[in-house]
Amino acid sequence: MTAAEVGRPAPRLAPSRGTRAPGAARTGLRLIRLYLASRRVLGALLVLVACALALRTALHWLPRTGVFSRQIPLIIEAGAAAAIGVTARSPFGEPERVTGRWLPVLRLGGTVALAGAAFGALAAGAASAHLAGGSIGLLRDLGGLVGIALLAAAVAGGGLSWIGPIGYLGVTMAAVTGAWATPWTWPARPPHDRGAAICAALVFAAGLAAVTLRGARDPAARE
Amino acid sequence: MTAATAPARSAPPRARRVPPAAAPARLLRIELRRSSMLWLLPLLAVLFYVSTYRPAMDNPPFWNIRGDMVQSRAMLVFAPLLAGAGAWIGSRDGRRGLVDLVGVTAVPRWAGQVVTWAAATIWAELLYLAGVAVLYGVTARQGAWGGPLWWPVAVGTAVVAASCALGFAAGARLPGRFTPPLAALVTFLALAGGAFAIQDNSRYAQIWPLNVQGPFPANSYAIFYPYLPDLAIAQVMFLAGLAAAALGALGLPAPAGGRWLRGAAAAITVAGLAAAGTAVGLAGTDRVEAHGMVIPALHNAASDRPTPYTPVCSHGAVPVCLQPAYRSFLPEVTAALGPLLGQLAGLPGEPVRVTQVAVTTVQSASSNGIGFGGPAIGGRPPALYLPLAGVSLPGEGSTSAEFIALLRGQYGPSIVNELVGLPASMAVIGVNSAGNPGHAAQFAVAQALDRALNGTAPARPRGTGASPPQAGLQAAVGRFAALPAAQRHAWLAVHLAALRAGRVTLSEIP
Repeated sequence: MTAAEVGRPAPRLAPSRGTRAPGAARTGLRLIRLYLASRRVLGALLVLVACALALRTALHWLPRTGVFSRQIPLIIEAGAAAAIGVTARSPFGEPERVTGRWLPVLRLGGTVALAGAAFGALAAGAASAHLAGGSIGLLRDLGGLVGIALLAAAVAGGGLSWIGPIGYLGVTMAAVTGAWATPWTWPARPPHDRGAAICAALVFAAGLAAVTLRGARDPAARE
Repeated sequence: MTAATAPARSAPPRARRVPPAAAPARLLRIELRRSSMLWLLPLLAVLFYVSTYRPAMDNPPFWNIRGDMVQSRAMLVFAPLLAGAGAWIGSRDGRRGLVDLVGVTAVPRWAGQVVTWAAATIWAELLYLAGVAVLYGVTARQGAWGGPLWWPVAVGTAVVAASCALGFAAGARLPGRFTPPLAALVTFLALAGGAFAIQDNSRYAQIWPLNVQGPFPANSYAIFYPYLPDLAIAQVMFLAGLAAAALGALGLPAPAGGRWLRGAAAAITVAGLAAAGTAVGLAGTDRVEAHGMVIPALHNAASDRPTPYTPVCSHGAVPVCLQPAYRSFLPEVTAALGPLLGQLAGLPGEPVRVTQVAVTTVQSASSNGIGFGGPAIGGRPPALYLPLAGVSLPGEGSTSAEFIALLRGQYGPSIVNELVGLPASMAVIGVNSAGNPGHAAQFAVAQALDRALNGTAPARPRGTGASPPQAGLQAAVGRFAALPAAQRHAWLAVHLAALRAGRVTLSEIP
């Protein structure tokens, strides 16, 4: 080998055109696994399963109509949303932000997957029982609450993101009993209310965009 | 210079002894400055406004309504957030991996944890009390009669302390990222579950911290009699016990402190659990009485003395006198009952005045419901005694017109029934249910008067056709209602005594 050849890749290591390195898929899977582990996604899934069981139990005892039939499922949905928001917290902070090229994709994928899992778990928990608002209402309310949790994660940090949905739940309780008409308190609106659905979707999209692009706020002095 | 002449060295400065209580006090000052609860205060203030202040202002300025809200509504929102915040603050050392480090500081670990909890709780209490001060101040400026109710505030402060303590203990024991939201969620579900248990008329569920006076509507107590604090005392005992048990349990592990400290923690834990259990037991012995919830072991007989007041009266043909707390509703009550009583004026036994009175009989109902005794005519000269408890007041879910219609619909038939000698509850029964033939004439006259005075539509018989007795009853109702008011009045003046005695038949009704 001459000096001119230094720095050239060895022929046997060069990937053939149009194909990926044999270890790339494995590396990608490892990256995803490490990302999910760093966000405690398994713990979040366990919380979601617990929420589904709680919803199942609650719907067994709850009356089909009345304030309780709306408020108690909503509390459980807020718990599921809070669990998703908490997973936005990164234990690595700035180093990961600087070096993680695929981080936005991982954040987007992880959050959407968890939101989907939450909807699936809660829908399964409500299967063969009467859920006020039905699946449409569940999708709208849960989506909006997840959006609030993600926005709170972007503003206050992943560890404190639960404040968003739990605080919003407090507002919603007043809205449900007071029959507020504003679509921004979407859980108090009928399931087919278009304005409420748009507001919930906007909040979900804003939360998803904030967490995807910026991530949760780094642990700061408050932590 | 010899050693003898060498200047004596000044003695080294003595180390200043720090009093034993100074270290926790200094730690408390530090924790107060850096508590995470400070960041939550703006959110809590907004939630207090949305959940408590705004609905309170939508209701009439009654101390009982406002007092109910500072306990039930505010705590429904505050308790979960404070439990979550307490868990977040309690898990601080664990999250940062500082447990071993802070375990060897001068202040025992348990004392440090209690100080951290106290700092967070002080901020939360200050915000809650500030909110209550604003709400009560505005209520006083609105001219509410009587004085503020402090027992609901005491329960509220106990809920704040207990929520923070329970969350703090959970966070300190299980320092993880899911602990704060789970603490908040469990608290929310516990509060909702308590409401559900109360709806199910579970006796021990009366201890539920959002329960103000059991099934009593907010406007139905603490007007004619003082606020009965029995249930509130049990709730404060329960919540203080829970808080003590949660905080005491933190001092049980070996690293928490020395033997004496751990012994004290164990004693506090046991005492807290005993207090909470006793409070639940006491709540199970409560009973619904006319002026509120009574727990015999906690009841003070002084609370049974009526609150003195000077009634406010209208000056119509039949004066209407109300308790001064209801002063603003005097025009509506007069408008509702005045025309009815005016048309019956002069009849024997007809009330010459209307007086609002305290509820004297209550009856528990299913789903945490309650039934109040209705109006009654009595005394010499006769007066209509009118309890307004449990009626939805203007601004409390109904308009003035709805309130007037409600009073007429609810009390008008009762007044007429009292006049003709029927049981008051019979007014709600239809023509087909006249039942006892001996009451047929009384029933027909009462129906006719209701129709004539309120302009209500005639009651239609159920089914396809009326049986002969029902047809006769309806005919009598129609005849009497169609009479001119003066003729009706004159007939009643002559025949009312016979009608009451059941000596008038349907055919004798003109």
